[in-house]
Formats: sequence, structure tokens, C-alpha cells
Amino acid sequence: MSETFDAIVIGAGHNGLVAAARLAKEGKKVVVLEAAAEVGGLLGGADPVAAMPFGINPKIASGLGLARHGLRYGAPMKTLSFGGGERVEIDGSVARGVAPEMATNYAELHRKLTRYSGALAKMLTKAPPRFRDGGLGDMLSMAQLGLSIRGLGKTDMRDMLRIILSNVWDLCEDEIGDGPLAAALAMDATLGGAMGPRSPGTVLTLLYRMASTGSGGAGQRSTPISGAAAVVSALTKAAEASGAAIRTSSPVARILVDNSDRAVGVALEDGTEFRAPLILSNATPRRTLLDLLGPQHLNAEDVARLRHMATNGMVARIDLDLAELPEGLSEADLGHRIVVAQDMRRIERALNAAKYGELPTEPAVEFTGRKTDAGWRLAALAQFAPCNLKGGWTKAKKDKLAKATTKAMEAVLPGIGGKITGWDVRSPADLEATYGLTGGHWHHGELRIDQMLMMRPFAGAAQYRMPVAGLYLCGAGAHPGGDISGLPGWNAAGQAIKDGGAK
Amino acid sequence: MNKALTPRPQMPMGALPAPFHERIAAENFQHSWMNWNGYASPGVLDTAEFEYFAIRNQSTLFDISPMCKFRIKGPDAEAVMNRMVTRDVRKQKPGRVSYVIWCDEDGNVVDDGTLFRRSEDEFLLFCQEPQLLWIKDIAWGFDVEVTEVTHDLAGFAFQGPTTAATLRDLKIKEIETMRPFDIRDIKIAGKKVMISRTGFTGDLGYELVMAPKDALSVWDAVYAAGQLRGVRIIGYEALEMARIEAGFLLPRVDFISSQTNLRVNRARNPFEIGLGWLVTFDKPHYNGKRALQRLAGVAPKRKLVAIEISKDKAAHHALVYHRKTREVGFVTSALWSATTKRNIAYAWLEVPFGQAVKDDLWVEIYLQREIEWQRRMERVMIVERPFFVHPRRTVTPPLNF
Repeated sequence: MSETFDAIVIGAGHNGLVAAARLAKEGKKVVVLEAAAEVGGLLGGADPVAAMPFGINPKIASGLGLARHGLRYGAPMKTLSFGGGERVEIDGSVARGVAPEMATNYAELHRKLTRYSGALAKMLTKAPPRFRDGGLGDMLSMAQLGLSIRGLGKTDMRDMLRIILSNVWDLCEDEIGDGPLAAALAMDATLGGAMGPRSPGTVLTLLYRMASTGSGGAGQRSTPISGAAAVVSALTKAAEASGAAIRTSSPVARILVDNSDRAVGVALEDGTEFRAPLILSNATPRRTLLDLLGPQHLNAEDVARLRHMATNGMVARIDLDLAELPEGLSEADLGHRIVVAQDMRRIERALNAAKYGELPTEPAVEFTGRKTDAGWRLAALAQFAPCNLKGGWTKAKKDKLAKATTKAMEAVLPGIGGKITGWDVRSPADLEATYGLTGGHWHHGELRIDQMLMMRPFAGAAQYRMPVAGLYLCGAGAHPGGDISGLPGWNAAGQAIKDGGAK
Repeated sequence: MNKALTPRPQMPMGALPAPFHERIAAENFQHSWMNWNGYASPGVLDTAEFEYFAIRNQSTLFDISPMCKFRIKGPDAEAVMNRMVTRDVRKQKPGRVSYVIWCDEDGNVVDDGTLFRRSEDEFLLFCQEPQLLWIKDIAWGFDVEVTEVTHDLAGFAFQGPTTAATLRDLKIKEIETMRPFDIRDIKIAGKKVMISRTGFTGDLGYELVMAPKDALSVWDAVYAAGQLRGVRIIGYEALEMARIEAGFLLPRVDFISSQTNLRVNRARNPFEIGLGWLVTFDKPHYNGKRALQRLAGVAPKRKLVAIEISKDKAAHHALVYHRKTREVGFVTSALWSATTKRNIAYAWLEVPFGQAVKDDLWVEIYLQREIEWQRRMERVMIVERPFFVHPRRTVTPPLNF
């Protein structure tokens, strides 16, 4: 016997929950099947992998009434960048702790990038257009992007098109000069990907990140009051309030396809079957299509595209326990994003090692923190830590990375090393094992120009619809991709509702 | 005698000698060699017309060793082949051959070939274009081993009315029960041979495949046995004439593989090529199935058709006109068919020409006569493929001629 629904959502990550909530709000009978014992994916647990999420997109927050379900944001997070000298404090377009000339130039650069990211932002809240066989709507949506860029005015348009495919290194060198301020921008442009500041396309990823932000304004992370858990709990409540059922410890083993080439349901590992005309998967593109659906339902070209998707995760999540805070770091600071990278050069060097499957001697780090019973716990992200590390992610390698990380922190926050009482490293390989995250990649696949917009997750499979009718991708592998915006889930649900799940 | 001064047959630069090279070179009076997949392959040995008539009246040997050959073996071999080609491979029993095509994701034809089912879990695929990477991409995620055996298998086509009698003389009992597209494992000259009742000529004929080390022994035995029945070694030119008559199409000549076209609108789907009969939808997903289902529902923009032309001048590379003025297509393969006494060709015609509009179609033939060019407009009739097929092709047991 199998239970029947209007829609099945595979995975209760934030995108899965957003999709389920939107579908349920539209009157669909929805079940969310989550493999883990708790919901939230990378946002779940006391020390979530995504410790400093961007805000859920305001359109989604209001559409799902998340405020009613307890999601409230505090003031936007500032960025504190430690480079050994005076600490640099960045609050939107205002930078303190740098030379007055650099602060002026930075303000100018930030305002410019904000305008450009605004032109890009229009593309994020809707399905990307199709190039081939596209309808009128697709052409209009393409035209709209063109118009919004054109709408910047001739000078800005030319400048945006000039820099958009270049690299953040050149941009910062040209506009503000290297140092902790540039390093903080470069961290934003590269974190989560296998790109260094000098990689082409890092201006695009920076603009993308600035465009996908929530209530705090361009490029600023907003912390929900009571932490990341509030996002998960508000989304869960919103979904359940509209009637969606969420079942944890229900790992999906395969997606069922009928003789007419339609996805019609899923089977759990224990054999339980669920049926629905709409299946939305929050899993990665590769896991969804190659593991759950299976290559027998795909053309060889699509299988090859999936196999070749760039999905090598590059970020390790490190929890550091401190007995007490070092001098120069206050309790108030821990509410913000703290960047440890003295300059762009060091970030680039950290990538050099990772490119060849090695650990960097001086990782680039960002962290935030919270008070615990025993002292302090810092939630750090260290890059670049390749999933495909030579020799594998042994305990010795993790210790080596933790030591290199504390050493890098010690260099700019003297005394912090001696106060560390313990650490826990979650490598990209761990994320893959724990969350089924292909390559341990946050964004389910690199955010690169060849894997964005109508090319996300791969050419021919954009617009959330997968090759088998009735199957949709609603996770970060779909447009517009990673960071905690909820947009892939929102857009995918919109597409599924539009298609109607015709039987 | 000074060995260095001994005349040697000419060969294309860098081409490899095929397994039967010594025997073919000895008879290749024209020194006409073509490069076929890196092997030296004879274009014509003596006279194309003599060789052609040997196909139709006697028996002929043609080296097919340069064909691309692949072995697909393992528990999922049937699933992989069924996922690749447009026919239902589940219906093909071990010991049978089928003519197959395969398509890309857009439903355009990648290549055609002959699929030999050797057992429940083993297939051999013979085709024109290198396909190893394509088959491996198709087989990704399946429990199967794909190996290229192009250089590990030698083979020749033995075609013509007197072939069965020759094999009878060689005491090959298996041919008595072999229907067209049957495979048997036999021995000739004590060597293992895979024989199939298949071919490219629309007539009685066989294809023999063996290990390269056994190639010459088998060839010699068949060649010797066929002497009194007029056996001839033939080249590509004669075979080309027979294949046009027999209604077979040649990739790169009649259509272009979707793996090799440079211009996006040059790839062709099976319905345009006239191979829609090879496409079934009554089986699980296979490569290009979704696109083919869409394409099956719309009228193709152009079609490859068989045409017959007035008078006797072959319409090579000719353009096709409606009312002698509007250009509506072009000829790919053309031949004055000596056996059927018809002037035949294949032509690509824009719809509706050749479909709804069949009248008032003309080809423009250019003829060079002692330097000077002449232009002729000849009438075109739309006809059915094949132009030639002989009843003895299928009679079992095969007849002696």
C-alpha cells in the first residue's frame, strides 16, 4: 500500500521546506521526506554547517508569513577583518580602520557593486529563461535582464559588462588596493567555491552574493534572533501550518517512474512507497538524477553532464572551543562575521595548495561565535579544504587543518591559540557522508558562469524541470543556487504549480 | 634478385595493411587504395564493372576488417544495447543479427550498424564511425564491459549468388538451416569462424569473422573453393554500386552523423532519413526517445527519398528542381543500375516535394564530354526503396547457382 499526495518533497533542507510550504499554501497535499532524524539540512543542529546564513529572501519571508512563525532578524552583521594591524570594520559601504582614501574608494566601489547586483537580482526570483525552444515568456525574461543592465545607464552598463567576467583581485587592486578590506570582499567572492581571488568570474560570484541577500541590504548577512535554528523552525511551522506533513528518518532510496515516462512517486529504503504527480528533490542534481532516478531514465549526454559537473567542495567547517576570549576580541564581536585573511594574496595561495589536493599551510578563515557553558565556541569556515584531499580525510589531516587554522588566527589575534581547548573538524567529505551532499559542496555544484542561470544545473535541464516529467529540482543545484535564500525552493515550487502535475 | 628493387603495391601514406592485404595486393592491378579507418582498402582491383557483375552473377570477397567493431559483454549488456539503439533489443535472440540505428538526445542519428547477439550477455556491434566513447557514455552506471575489437577481429563479406554453393563445397552444413540474419559458429580450414547470413548487396551472401591470425587460411580456403564459381576480390567502387541498388544508406554520403556535423541544422532524424521503421516506442527509455516521440508527431521538413531518373546518365551531385525553376533538393548517391536497367538515386527533398507534390520534378545533370560541359534536365519519379532485391536472398536452404 502506498500513500498518495499531490506533491512529494525529498529532503527537508531549507529549500525543501520553502518548496513544501509554498506548495501547501497553494492547497497541495504535501509530504516532505527527510533522511536525517532532524530537519534543516546544513542549517540544522546546534552548530549548523551554515553558521552565518544570508537572509531568506524577503519575498519568500513575506509570502510564507515567516515573521508570524517566529523569524525575526536582528541588525545586519558587520564584517570584522583582522589583518595583523588595526582591525577593519565593514558595515555596508562604510569601512573603518583603513586609510581615509581607501575608505572613500571602498564606499564608491560598494555603491557601484550594489547597483550592479540590483540589476542581477531581478533574475534570481524567477525561473531562468531557455535559450533553445524558449517561449515568449523566456524571451521577455531574457530581454528584462538586458533592460535592467541597460537601465543602469551607459557608463555603468559598460563598466558592469567590463568587470563582470573578470576577477575580484583585479577589481580590488584597481579600486581599493590589497589588504584586510580587500580580503574580506575576496572571501565573499570565493567562499564555498573552488575559486581564488584571481579566478575569472569572481566578480560575478561577488555580485551574485550581494544580489541574493535578505533584509540586511546588499552583501550583508542577517542573523535571525535566536540563530540559524529560527530559520528552520519558522519554515517548518509555515509548512505544517499549511498542512504539509514532514517525516524525518525517511530516507528515499529511489524515484519511481511509470511506463509513460513520468515520475510518479518514491520508495524509501525500507520499501515504503509514496505516490504523487509532482516530485521535488532538495538533494543535489547528481544524487537526485544518478542515484535516486538512475541513469536508465536519462540520455547519455545528460549523464555525462552530471558526471562532469564541478562539485568539489572546498570548505571545512571547524568548531573551536575556547576557555576565554583573547585580547582584542569581545563578546559583542562574536555577533558579527570575523574574517581572518590578511590580504588577497594569502587567499589565492590557500587555493594553490587545494588545487593539487593538498591542505593550505595558511587557510583563509571566517568565523562567528557563541557563549557556551564551558566558555566560547567559535564556528569557523576554513578554505580551501578540498573534498578530494590526497590520501583522504584522516584524523591526522583534520588535526593538521585545525592547527593551520589556529595558527592563521594566532597571527592576527595573538593569544587565541593558547585558549583553545578543543576542536571538531567537519570536512567536505564528512558533509557528503552526512547530508548526501555531492562532493561536500555547499552549493550542490560550483556557482560558475557555465553552471548558472539557464546552465544550472546543466544545459538542457534548467527551469527546475528534470528530464523525466513530474520531477523537479528544488535545491541549491537549481537556479539561482546556493546561500541561504530559499529561492531555488520557491521558484521550483512555482514551476511545479504552473505545470500542475498533470496526470 | 635485389629485394629492394622488387615492385611493391602502392598504398596510402601511413595506412595499415589489413589482415588480407597480401592477397588483395597481389590482385590489385590498379594499385587503387583508399584509406578506410586507417587501413588500406581497395577502391578497385581491376575494373569496377567486372567486380560489380561478379556481385550480381558470381561471388565476391570484400575485406570488412576496417569496420569499427565493439564487444559489449556483461549482465547488463542487453539493457545497455536496448538503451542505445532505437529497436527493441529484448526481442533479438542469441544467434541473430539486426540492423540498428542510434540517436543522440535530440533524436538525430549518430550512426547505423549491425548488432550481433552472441549470447544472452554478449553483443558485437559493427559500424562505420568510431563509437567507443559513445557506447561507454551510454553504458555508464551499468554492469557491462565495453571493448573496442576493431583490430582484434578480421572479416570479409562473401556475397553473390554462388556463395552458398561454394560453402556447400566446403562442407559447411550449417548454411542449410541459416535464415537471413542468423549467426553460426563454424570451422573453415580448421579455423574458428563466425558466419552470418548478412550483407550490403540485397542478394544472397554471408559475412565471415575470424581472428586476424586465421584470416589468410580462411580467405585462401574460400577463394580456392570459389574458383570454378567465378569468385572475385572486389573493391569499394563495385560494392558502392550494389549498396545503392540494395537500398542501403551510407553515413557521410547520404546523411551526416550527428557527432560529426559542424552546422547545427545538418543532423538528421530517422523519420527524415526514412528509417522511421527502425524506431519503436514500445520499450523503456532509450537515448533520444523523448525527442523522437516529439518528432514522430510532426511532419519532417525534408526527407531522403529514392528516385528514378529518365535516360541513362547518372545524376551525381545533381540539384533537384520543381517545374525546372525552383530548387527543392539535391542528390546524394546516384547510379545507372545495370542490373535493373534503371537510372537510380537518393535525394533530399524539401517537404512537400517528394511527398504531396510528386509531379514536375527535375534533376539538373552536368555531363563532361571531352572537356566541354553539357547540362541536361531529366524527369524525376519518386519510387520505393530498395531498387534491387533478389528472392534468393531469403530462400532457406539457399539455392545452388
